[in-house]
Amino acid sequence: MSAPESPAHATWCFDAIGTSWEIETTEALGPGIRARVTECIAQFDRVWSRFREDSLVTSLARDPREVGAPADAAEMLDAFVALSAATAGAVNPLVGRSLESLGYDAAYSLVDRGAAPAPLEWVDQLTWTGERMRLTAPALIDVGALGKGRLVDLVLAVLSPAVPGDIVVDAGGDMALRGGPVRIGLEHPYDARRAIGVWEVTDAALCASATNRRAWGDGLHHVLDARTGRPVTTYAATWAVAATAMRADAIATALFFDGGVELAHGWGVEWVRMTTDGRVEWSPGCAADLFTGPDIVDV
Amino acid sequence: MIRTTTVPRPARVAAAMVGVAGVIALAGCSTGGEAGDSAGAPTTDSGASTAPSTSDAASYADGTYTGEGSYATPESVETITVTVTLVDDVITEVEVVGQPQKAESKQYQGQFVGGISEVVVGKDIDEISVSRVAGSSLTSGGFNQAIEQIKSEAAV
Repeated sequence: MSAPESPAHATWCFDAIGTSWEIETTEALGPGIRARVTECIAQFDRVWSRFREDSLVTSLARDPREVGAPADAAEMLDAFVALSAATAGAVNPLVGRSLESLGYDAAYSLVDRGAAPAPLEWVDQLTWTGERMRLTAPALIDVGALGKGRLVDLVLAVLSPAVPGDIVVDAGGDMALRGGPVRIGLEHPYDARRAIGVWEVTDAALCASATNRRAWGDGLHHVLDARTGRPVTTYAATWAVAATAMRADAIATALFFDGGVELAHGWGVEWVRMTTDGRVEWSPGCAADLFTGPDIVDV
Repeated sequence: MIRTTTVPRPARVAAAMVGVAGVIALAGCSTGGEAGDSAGAPTTDSGASTAPSTSDAASYADGTYTGEGSYATPESVETITVTVTLVDDVITEVEVVGQPQKAESKQYQGQFVGGISEVVVGKDIDEISVSRVAGSSLTSGGFNQAIEQIKSEAAV
């Protein structure tokens, strides 16, 4: 998957937060900047990872209380308010226990113990200001709907002032770009060797979500409807391009539910999504080049 | 060449994913015992795994696998049939037949949806000159280990 037209570049690959990262720059990154990126990711993980015993969200689930607002709390939780409202509660940051119940827990037990809806009135249990964050019930915060996008933005913000030229921060297919254009293949959700289209992106972020890879059989995967605690079933894969990876990630999640396209419209986010039976839909004016059949339906 | 056969209307694909995800994640076995059959989760009669990014992964028998399932929505019980054809560990065809879902209204789509294609054609990623690929998150670590363990218990 080389890009013969692109200039010389250096790629730094590592694993963090359960995914494979690739940071592509025109010149190799030195140890100092790498250490700052590593620390940025570690800080985020220590607060928001429900897979860590020692994280803040794990601690809050055991011992609900008021704490000083961690970095990124207000930005992410404000976005969750919009997501939750747009999707009639399907997206919810207190969905952690629901994921655990299906087996997607810190131990990766992958054993289905049944559907567990998340608390619908989550804003009654989780409140925040710029300074404080308070959880009043033993709920498990899961920012998976947009957290990886937020972290990608943070990493790009660490790199941007320190690195000349084009930058790609790619966290397992969720990416933020400075410069470009970068040609990005949209992976077929049922066959990772194929793409359903190409999206050329410049100075923006592209995030994707799909139900096939983080799946553990019998319809179980990581995109849940918080209202039922069950995995979603209508859409197999979503892609969104936005100014920030957090918003692209949030829309990629919202697109699995009714109301997602309306929020995308409100935020000015372009998108593509594929249903589980192979139909493809896209946003008005979407710039992606999709490999579709001849029978496009005008709507 | 993958051919994703579409049904005339978008299928409510609880079970499509069930079938397909089950097929992808769990190789060649009944899945009832692995993940439980609670909450009306469908069962997959048989399946196989693709391991699309690692060609040296476990092999699964070529053939056509069909899974049927049903699941409860708040309004009804939906049923679906998923047929997957495997050749050399690659899903070459996916067919989903199921009940049509409750679609968003035409007016709603007209305002926020730019277009719809009933047919998508997968192209080989090596042939479209891209420098990045975006799909489901590439995973590492514990999740993959757990999946590999399930697959090793299921492989033919």
